Amino acid sequence: MLLPKFDYQAPTSIEEAAALLERYGAKAKCLAGGTDLLVNLKKKLLSPDQIISLNKIEGYAEAASQNGQGLSLGPLCTAAYLAGSKLIQDKSAVLAQAAAKLGSPLIRNRATIGGNLVTARPASDLAPALLVLGAQVTLVNSKGKRSVPLEAFLLGPGQTAIKEDEVLTEIIIPKETGPSAGIYLKLGSRKSLEISLVNAASFLALASDGTIQTARVALGAVAPTPILSPGAAKVLTGSKPKDSDDPVFKEAAKAAAQDSKPITDHRGSADYRREMVEVLTQRTLSAAYHQLMKNA
Amino acid sequence: MITLKVNNQEYDLVIPVNRTLTQVLRENLKLTGTKQGCSVGDCGSCTVLFDGEPVNSCLVLAVEAEGHHITTIEGLADEGKLHPIQEAFVEKGGIQCGFCSPGMILSAKALLDKNPSPTEREIREGISGNLCRCTGYQKIVESIQAVDKR
Repeated sequence: MLLPKFDYQAPTSIEEAAALLERYGAKAKCLAGGTDLLVNLKKKLLSPDQIISLNKIEGYAEAASQNGQGLSLGPLCTAAYLAGSKLIQDKSAVLAQAAAKLGSPLIRNRATIGGNLVTARPASDLAPALLVLGAQVTLVNSKGKRSVPLEAFLLGPGQTAIKEDEVLTEIIIPKETGPSAGIYLKLGSRKSLEISLVNAASFLALASDGTIQTARVALGAVAPTPILSPGAAKVLTGSKPKDSDDPVFKEAAKAAAQDSKPITDHRGSADYRREMVEVLTQRTLSAAYHQLMKNA
Repeated sequence: MITLKVNNQEYDLVIPVNRTLTQVLRENLKLTGTKQGCSVGDCGSCTVLFDGEPVNSCLVLAVEAEGHHITTIEGLADEGKLHPIQEAFVEKGGIQCGFCSPGMILSAKALLDKNPSPTEREIREGISGNLCRCTGYQKIVESIQAVDKR
């Protein structure tokens, strides 16, 4: 399969990139890792006049701790980088776990976090992990920048709140007070190069008296976008589980299954997916709580 | 014009911007050891090392490889002497039809450079982006296991 014709530009600053997007708007597409964009170009699903590569902009491929305020991730951090980074493993383990499940080793060396979010696939591996971490994305155009919670950024399959003239320049993960743990699980029919049938991420943070002060459960491939389950959060918040087998996790998992809106397709039926949401949610919650108890 | 550094040799090239790295390696540089299979990042037969890390070269624009070190299967042998991983593949029967072999060997090299004594699970994970349609994975895994013991 051949690539269609396009012009290619590789700006070295965000100002330059934003100016190009202002000029070309919908006729341009930003290139990050290219693992989705090049496939879509080859399949003629997209035919932009301009490809604007972000790969020459410095500092975009790294994550940094924001002096105690949380983490700042550059949009070009690859999945391999996120999976292997000590900083991510320590501060946001659930994201490292999700990144390690994306595509294949070859894809992980190219696929980026910014690209994964802007591509906005319902079965994205990184989005559920970032949702439970309460991530925000920063969008920049030539007039300025704005910050959008990830939940409000993801609008539908392939659809996000990013405007034609904007670049996703940063992903911010706020600092969590108190001990916390997160777990990501992915269900598919094979281990590599798999699009999730269902995936789930859970995150729990405890108050000093051991009650759950923050609980977030995110589900992938069971709605038009990866979603947070308000039902599961409600069941868990304020509870004080006795151990990782506490019935509250089962109850939360049932609530998550109710919040999911799966469809039937060639990879699985809606009923099966809803059932698996419950199984995966319970497993991620139990494992996250187990880890909290182990660290305590 | 771009300058590509492939197997420690520099090439000055004038190419259209919509050429993939696979195409330029094969068609301009005549390095046909890199194979074009699915062309959408599923099969791994186009694997090259990009600054030492294995990537699908069918999903990399050639212009984006400028300033990086590219290693293809042709870059492994040293003055006509096969690389130990290549020798292990020959000895252990890790090559059947051969189409996946360049990619398999480069993924194996990237793995062994970081982890010289991988477990079987780590080997299978390391080559999980490379498909062999002769389905000879067992011999491929044995070949990679044999490299350490040579």
